[in-house]
Parts: sequence; structure tokens; C-alpha cells
Amino acid sequence: MSSREEILSRLRHNTRETFDMPDLAALTPITFADPVAEFIHKTTTTAGATLIEMQPTDRLDDLIRRAYPEARSVASNLPGVRTDVNPDTVAEAQELMHVDVGVVQGCIGVAENACIWIPQQTKEKAVCFAVQQLVILLPRDAIVSNMHQAYALIQTSTDYFSRYPFGTFISGPSKTADIESALVYGAQAARAVTVILTPP
Amino acid sequence: MSTRHSRAAEAYLKDDAVASRHDQTFFAVRQKRDRMAAALPEWEDLREAASQIKKHTATHLADYLERFERNATRNGVSVHWAEDADEYNRIVADILAAHNVRKVVKSKSMLTEECHLNENLERQGITVVETDLGERILQMMKLAPSHIVMPALHVHREDIGACFRRLIPDFDEIARSYDRPHDDPNDPTFLTYVARMHLRQQFAEADAGMTGANFGIAETGDIVVCTNEGNADMSTSLPRLHIVSMGIEKLIPDYASMGVFQRFVARSGTGQETTVYTSHFRGPRPGGEMHIVLVDNGRSDILGDPEHWQTLKCMRCGACMNTCPVYRRSAGYSYTYFIPGPIGINLGMLRDCHLYHDNLSACSLCCSCDNVCPVKVDLSSQIYRWRQQLDDLGHASRMKRLMSKGMAALFNRPKLYTATLRFAPLINVLPSALVSNRLNPWTYGHTMLKFPRKSFHEQWKQLKNEEKK
Repeated sequence: MSSREEILSRLRHNTRETFDMPDLAALTPITFADPVAEFIHKTTTTAGATLIEMQPTDRLDDLIRRAYPEARSVASNLPGVRTDVNPDTVAEAQELMHVDVGVVQGCIGVAENACIWIPQQTKEKAVCFAVQQLVILLPRDAIVSNMHQAYALIQTSTDYFSRYPFGTFISGPSKTADIESALVYGAQAARAVTVILTPP
Repeated sequence: MSTRHSRAAEAYLKDDAVASRHDQTFFAVRQKRDRMAAALPEWEDLREAASQIKKHTATHLADYLERFERNATRNGVSVHWAEDADEYNRIVADILAAHNVRKVVKSKSMLTEECHLNENLERQGITVVETDLGERILQMMKLAPSHIVMPALHVHREDIGACFRRLIPDFDEIARSYDRPHDDPNDPTFLTYVARMHLRQQFAEADAGMTGANFGIAETGDIVVCTNEGNADMSTSLPRLHIVSMGIEKLIPDYASMGVFQRFVARSGTGQETTVYTSHFRGPRPGGEMHIVLVDNGRSDILGDPEHWQTLKCMRCGACMNTCPVYRRSAGYSYTYFIPGPIGINLGMLRDCHLYHDNLSACSLCCSCDNVCPVKVDLSSQIYRWRQQLDDLGHASRMKRLMSKGMAALFNRPKLYTATLRFAPLINVLPSALVSNRLNPWTYGHTMLKFPRKSFHEQWKQLKNEEKK
């Protein structure tokens, strides 16, 4: 018997009693009267990110430049963003490690923990992690209260995982407290994150 | 009546400053966890739901694993099955050899510790670089983790700085590129910057990335990895080969379940609302390969153990260690199994009860771990049950066995018992040298208790008599 068969048969043999799946719809998770306000609060406090509320008259490029005035290179494939590097066409993902700012589209914001769902949208997902600073665009009306709602949206949508088999929730910049519990931003991945809330 | 744990703890406690700092560090994490729990009105409902999901999955695990394999395979992932550590190590080595891999970057995985993967790969000439900052520090210092989530908090900044200076070849160059003023040469922000630059070089050079899996989702074939540093994402965004090591108990049914667990992992473990990154991998990156190795290594046997099967619910968040008063004041290295604390005591016994029974003494049965465990593993009850079996396993302490026999003799003879109690207060007036010595474990670490003049039994009788009047 192969290891696979051995493991499966031992599991079946050792199951003495079975338990039912609980009714998760019966949970009453926390919701917020104003999820956008809560999202902004969590993003700028616990998550350690910066947040810009874009006005209809604002130009995206101006906001990005204002957020990171010293940036020499921007990587993105989003329309309307002036870029120097395209994560769809770089020869190696390693090139993105030297990019100052990556700009990606977030699809769902979660108020309870400042998570933003970012489905992979470029050939190289390194644009979310390897760049020095990350700008995440998020439509104001795409913010929900909690993770249950976010996962329900992802599960029922056909927009995600169809082009690229990866998606991630990001909540602020890369951080660590591994040296004497001291909180430090900028561990291995993006050392700063700016969230731009775009008008609906 | 000592065990290897109690002797190690005694040695550890000799340096009160170190022990107190360790205690405070982890109690602070416990308090952060409490604030997270208090902020969610549904906390207890979530715990119950999480426990039930895990019980359901564990008792339907073969079906869910087949489903997971089907979906992952359809997503273009190669799925492998390993019965034990040897087979697991062999599978990983074969995949790496087939790709001529010389250097692997790796995010934290307790399973790879369990199977001694790193040593195995290094024997074959493959360089393995741990990329979680804490794990990297320990790897460079040749130390084992002292905690499963915060593995290096017991190491002091001076030692980390000295280690980096010695072992990171371009330390000076990196240090020169750091532009923030700092008086302390071992400032944590500075040292983290050095590690960042060092590790980013490793990511760029590596031929393969390895991750663990916090969760596997049967419904979609996803594996989910949660980190704060983004090191699992860096490890899988730069090299083209991704190998996932996953214990079979990490499976959950679907996305609805994932919602429950995502909300728990960080809140319970580190007292954060979320980890910075919660990444879902559903297939290889363009032009790359993804492999998932499903590892049993004793888990399917645990399922058949009626008293201990619920340890399979554990998601390795570390909450039970942070709250454990014995862990906090004895630290990870006092335990003989590589996972310390309440869950480690139990997992060690399940791994080899003759090798790891010393850890059973590392519990005061305060039951705090049961109350913080997000999936309701009955950790302290399990430790209690193991202790009942110690005599049968041949590991009962001789003195305790003698005492138990003496107690039994006493309790079975009411007259003798009453007479003994009447004379017990005499001990109060004995010179303390006669009482507080090495033969009496009661007086070790605390003063001898005072026997009351009248026993409870006598007082009770007296009270009843007075009531009658």
C-alpha cells in the first residue's frame, strides 16, 4: 500500500465517533455602524499605515508622489498610474526589490483589522512584497465590517484566482517584534504602506 | 521528586532578573490577548465554533484530505504524502535535487522542526536559510526555538548584535547604509534593518522557497500562510519553486471556516487583530512549481486515542504557553520536547511517553491554558490523565508512590487517621531544622504549613453539636 493509502485507511480506522459541522451562519460577528470610519481608524493606528482619502478632483499620480516624494521608481500595471517598471513584463521578480513604490488595487477592506484583500493582478506578485513601499488603492464602498463578510465575498466571486492563483490580505507594513519585543516596521517586505481610499 | 524539567527550571530561576523578564514579556502578550478577547462580544461563540469545526474535520479527515488533494491537483499543485519524518525528508530532498537547488529560503514551520528537515538538507550540502527574524537569529546562534510563535524573545539584543557582527559578511557595509541616528549599537530597529538587508539578499539568491501552512482549505485546495514579516511571501515571490510542508491536521473544510480561524490566530497568539499578511496560495506562480507535502508522522494514530485525540485541534498559536505560569517562569529550554508549554507537554507524550514524561511535572493544574485555548483543547485535563498513567508507564516518582501508599493506608483506617490528625499540631512546635529539610518537599520553596489546633473534622462536629443545643 502506498503512504497515501496507509494514511487514509489508518485515519478511517481510527475515527471512533464523528462530529457535525457547526452552523456558522448562527454566529453574530461584530459589525460597525460606520465601517469606513473604523477601517480608517484601524489602518492608521494598529496597522501602522498611512491613509489618504482621495477627492474626485485629485490625480492619483499626485497623491502617490505626495506620499513618497523621494521615490525614484514606481511599479504597477494599473491604468492611470505613471510607472517606471511593469510587474507584468519584468524578466525576473528580483527587479522589483529595487523599486521604491509598488501600486496595487485592493478589492475588499475589513474594518475590524484593517486587512485589505489583494488578489494577484500582475505576473509577478513580488510587487506586493518586495518593493520598498506599497500603495494600495481601495474603493471606499468596498469596506466590510469583519472577516466573515470578506471571505463570503471572495468565495462567491469569480474575479479572484481566475487569472493568477494567489491572493493575500495585507494589513499595514511588514513588521516584527522578534528582538526583545520591540516593534519595528520594515522587517523583510514593504516597510511602509499607504492606503488610498478612492471615491466610489 | 525532581524531573528533568524541574531541575532545569531550578537552574533557570537562579537568575531572577532573566526569569522575571521572561515572565513579564509573555504575560504582556497574554494581557494583549485578553484585550482582544474582550473587544469581541462573540469571542466565546467563536471558540466553540472553532472547536466544533476542528472536531468535525478531524473525524472526517480522510474525506477532506482526498477532497483537498483533488482540488490542489486540479490547481496544478503536486501533492505528496509522507507517513513519517524520514519519508517527508526524502520527498523534500528529491524535489530539491530534481531542481538542482543549492539554497532554500524558508519561513517558520514547526513541522520541519519536528522532522529535523534542516539538518537533513544540510547534510546533503543544501544551504537552508530561516527567514523569520527570530528563527534566523536562532539559526545563526545555533539555538533551538524557546517558543513556537516568538522563538527568540529570550535572547538579548547584545548577543544578537554580536552574532550579526560575527556572521553577516557585509555587516559593516549594511550598517553604513543605515541613516537613522542611534546611540545603542544594538538598537532593535538598527539590528532589524541589518537583518532585512541580509535576508533580502538571501531571498534574491535562493533557488527554492519553503513554507509551512497555517491552514489548508479542502473546498478550494488553498494553503494559507500567516506572517507579520512577509517572509513567507518573499520566499515564494522570488524563487520559482515553492514547497509547502503541512501536517494533515491543518486542514479545514471551507472559506466560511477560514473566517473563524483567521480572526483567532493572531488575536490568541500575539494579541494582534490580524497578522500583517494572510496569504492564500492556490497554485504555482507563473512559470514555477508548487508542491504540497502532507505529513502524518503519528497524527493518524493520535486520532485513535480516545483521551488525547483533541490535541489534533491545535493550531499552534502559542496562547497556552503565554498564559502558563510554569512556562513563563521556566522558559522553553526547561522542557525536553521541542514544543514547550501545555500543548508541548501533551504532544511530547504522544510522540514518545518514555522519552518526554519529565515535562508532565511542568503543570500546576491551574487550568488557565484550557480557558485561553481558541479551539478548546482540554490541555490541563490531558496532563492530569497522563499523570494518572505514570505508574503504569513505569515513570512514577518513587517517593510519590510511597506517599500514595501511606495515604491510602491512613485514609482506609478512620481511627488511625483521627488519631494522627490530633497529634499533627505537635509538628508546629518542632525545631524547624527537623521539619524544613530536604526530606520534606513541602518546605522546599515555601515555609512549612501550620497545622491548626483543631482539625476541620473536629470543628465541624463541634459546630453540629452546638446547633443541636
